[in-house]
Amino acid sequence: MPSLVERLRSIVGDEACLARAEELFVYECDGLTLDPVRPSAVVLPRDTEQVASVVRACREFGQPFVPRGAGTGLSGGAHPTPGAVIVECSRMDRILEVDAGNRIARVQPGVVNADLSVAVATHGLFYAPDPSSQMACTIGGNVAENAGGPHTLKYGTTTNHVLALELVLPDGAVSRLGSATGFAPGYDLVGAVVGSEGTLGIVTEVTVRLTPIPEGVETLLGIFPDVVSACRAVGRVIRSGLVPAALEILDQRTIRAVEDSVYAAGLPRDAGAVLVAELDGAACALPAQVEKVRAIIGEEGASEVRVARDEQERALFWKARKGAFGAMGRLAPDLYVHDAVVPRAVLPEILATVCEIGDRHGVTLSNVFHAGDGNLHPNISFDRRDPDELRRVIAAGTEILEACVRVGGVITGEHGIGTEKRDFIGLVFNEADLDAMKRVRDAFNPDGVCNPGKIFPTTRFCVESNPKARGYDRVPLA
Amino acid sequence: MSALGEELREALGAESIVEHPPVEWDGHKLELTFRPPDGDRLAKGLALLSERGLAALVRGGGTRSHWGNRAERADLILSTEALTGIDTLDTEDGVVHVAAGTRLDEVRAAANSGGWELPLDPPGEGTTVGGALSAAAIGPRRLGFGPPRDCVLGLEVALASGERTRCGGRVMKNVTGYDLAKLYTGAFGTLGVIERAWLRLRPLPASLEVRVAEVPSSVDPFALTLELARRTTTRVAALVGPGPAERIGSGCLIEEGWVLVAEFAGDSPATERDLEWLEGRVDALPADADVVGGLRRIQGAPVAPPGLRARIAVLPSALPETCAGLEASDLELVVHPGLGLVYVESHADLDGSLGAVDGAAARGCGSAMYESLPSQARAGRDVFGASPDVVPLMRALKERFDPTGTLNPGRFAGGL
Ligand SMILES: Cc1cc2nc3c(=O)[nH]c(=O)nc-3n(C[C@H](O)[C@H](O)[C@H](O)COP(=O)(O)OP(=O)(O)OC[C@H]3O[C@@H](n4cnc5c(N)ncnc54)[C@H](O)[C@@H]3O)c2cc1C
Repeated sequence: MPSLVERLRSIVGDEACLARAEELFVYECDGLTLDPVRPSAVVLPRDTEQVASVVRACREFGQPFVPRGAGTGLSGGAHPTPGAVIVECSRMDRILEVDAGNRIARVQPGVVNADLSVAVATHGLFYAPDPSSQMACTIGGNVAENAGGPHTLKYGTTTNHVLALELVLPDGAVSRLGSATGFAPGYDLVGAVVGSEGTLGIVTEVTVRLTPIPEGVETLLGIFPDVVSACRAVGRVIRSGLVPAALEILDQRTIRAVEDSVYAAGLPRDAGAVLVAELDGAACALPAQVEKVRAIIGEEGASEVRVARDEQERALFWKARKGAFGAMGRLAPDLYVHDAVVPRAVLPEILATVCEIGDRHGVTLSNVFHAGDGNLHPNISFDRRDPDELRRVIAAGTEILEACVRVGGVITGEHGIGTEKRDFIGLVFNEADLDAMKRVRDAFNPDGVCNPGKIFPTTRFCVESNPKARGYDRVPLA
Repeated sequence: MSALGEELREALGAESIVEHPPVEWDGHKLELTFRPPDGDRLAKGLALLSERGLAALVRGGGTRSHWGNRAERADLILSTEALTGIDTLDTEDGVVHVAAGTRLDEVRAAANSGGWELPLDPPGEGTTVGGALSAAAIGPRRLGFGPPRDCVLGLEVALASGERTRCGGRVMKNVTGYDLAKLYTGAFGTLGVIERAWLRLRPLPASLEVRVAEVPSSVDPFALTLELARRTTTRVAALVGPGPAERIGSGCLIEEGWVLVAEFAGDSPATERDLEWLEGRVDALPADADVVGGLRRIQGAPVAPPGLRARIAVLPSALPETCAGLEASDLELVVHPGLGLVYVESHADLDGSLGAVDGAAARGCGSAMYESLPSQARAGRDVFGASPDVVPLMRALKERFDPTGTLNPGRFAGGL
């Protein structure tokens, strides 16, 4: 009887099946570098038939399998369990059809997010979900995480742009869900699969909605003395009846990290916060909207409001925002990117609370976030070689999540639960709520072979999780 | 009171159980209505019904009782009419938390008074929040409002097992666990009974304009209306055939061809520009929102036998061909080119109409859902037109959420 690896090689070919230790190393984790686990093999299929055959082979050998895109996920969604086979979809990277007239595209899951927008730009269209990782992350990964981005405020998240899917079910059968018309009869199975973190099957084709490139865009940069007043301005813009394309905030620590890095955008280092506000749509409506936002920002205490004069200046404002995570690499060897959402009206209070928690635990905390959606990213820079600091980082992170839930918020807005937050999901949902979710998982994935160990708590919910249990001490320092 | 009525009263309280003269529903004569006054009683009642293997037909405002497949079994009606009230209207954040039995017009009025708009406009006087979401019911403003699922941030749902559950939340972005709200929205109450919902509101538009126009024969109606639908402020862009044009009160009496109904909503420079665009192409007459209300009304009313109404969904590019076949069959049409939707109504020749609708959906590679169909034609037919490919997955879900078939058995797509 051939081994599993031999069998996989017979399906995808020798060069598309990795099984040597040095090849497997990079697949031990995704963007969450905690808890690395070595898979038994990695396959890189090229089409649906290969994916289905790989799934059937894994079942025969009793091995679980884990779908993976580009591995940029931040919650451990693509982490293997011991012995699991990773099914990496990056070679399924073809745009199968662009139907500009009907404003849809059919793509394989390995298409890189930004590539799709580039490919359809000649038709005056783009693919709206724009995670900050869009130069690397894949549509399949976006579907699994229901990825959002700075422009989610106006355009929605991935779920609002996916019309139909082809899914290899965990038993190897191929199913087509949804409809390119947007009106599929029956349960909204596409809606259930989007955001299910690869636990309901492997997505092998995605039909997405394309959006017209807006006629006009205006980008403003407001410079504030502190982050709380920037949050107040966001609240006022929301209440004013405008629907901006984006409202993003960077706090002082982030500004300084950005200005010290290659992403420097000429932001004043002594500013307490900057707000990037973008308005788009019919060009004739924009001047009045810009004036409205400019006035609100001024009234809420901004010392300066800049309006991008051209594409170059707009790109500069966004460079600061999009480069923020990268720039934080300068602050310390490790970065814990948190992701929580609160009702927008409580942003000023929660930001004050988050900063207080960070200070009280003596950690280096910076905020760069999708303020218009109430989606916080408190980022904690640290050095895991210092056990005391590590303990404080975990304690502060936990307190932040608890504080967000207390004001009606949730523990993730776009990065997912994965392995990272599975033991925190009990902060938001009780056993009955989780049981309802398990019914869905069991309908698609009854024996749990597809991406096991994600989303649902492994043990009873325990907020006392210590750093060791969370695996920081086992990650080699690059 | 019947023995079952007595037993339910005993367990759930007198106010939860109403006995009434028989109500005929899909051939079942129902004399009891379970009308829970709160979520606890709803859950307790569902557990009891499941235990006893009883089946309930779920009703909100009753505006869509004529929808769906014929119920396989039915022992009583479950009405959410006593679960009412707006718990929270957060005008800072633009969200509302509301009980399922609350009428949409009540939520709409409250939202409007706070400067917000409820992006749901299904037909049917008395439509409730729970009913509209369960049926994923849409109205003429679907183009501008988006699908009902888009405004659902979170749901509280009582399962057939009697568990009260929550999914989603009140925040704008949320990937905490599976997105069950998507599954419950449009599930026709077959997976659980919606008890409360968090809905996302949108700002009230600063300017609103409605126009009607006869489309001259020199103009391609589909191309024109599709282009119109893609203007930034267009909220309604419908082509209305002669019969419906009269019934909606458009003021345009035509023998053949189309009347165009357009609604623009947004900031005034942008709505004005879109208006100008339209006026440059057709003689557009100002109208008031009643015309849009007329479109909604005719879309909601049940059609008297032997008539039918169906909704066909195809890609926009397939519309001309889809409609050509239907026009030849002498059916009444309302077309939403931006959405690829055709509403078809007939008042005679049931078999011929069924054939024309099914044929048109197949030709356009789309689907047809019958919203109003005489009883005899509903028997043995899936009025939703679900693809057989997805029925096994749907059945697996139904079996896990409602193993005893307590909730609307047989009424949903695929006979679930
Ligand atoms: C610098 C940085 C910035 C980021 N910014 C954002 C942001 O703004 N918004 C945001 O939402 N996220 C952001 N992320 C997180 C991440 O990029 C997204 O979650 C992205 O969607 C993951 O895509 P991926 O291709 O890398 O998927 P992976 O990380 O490989 O996998 C993610 C999940 O998807 C599953 N999966 C992958 N492919 C498939 C498939 N074909 N079928 C089924 N399941 C599959 C995996 O099992 C896993 O659960 C950021 C990450 C980084 C590193």
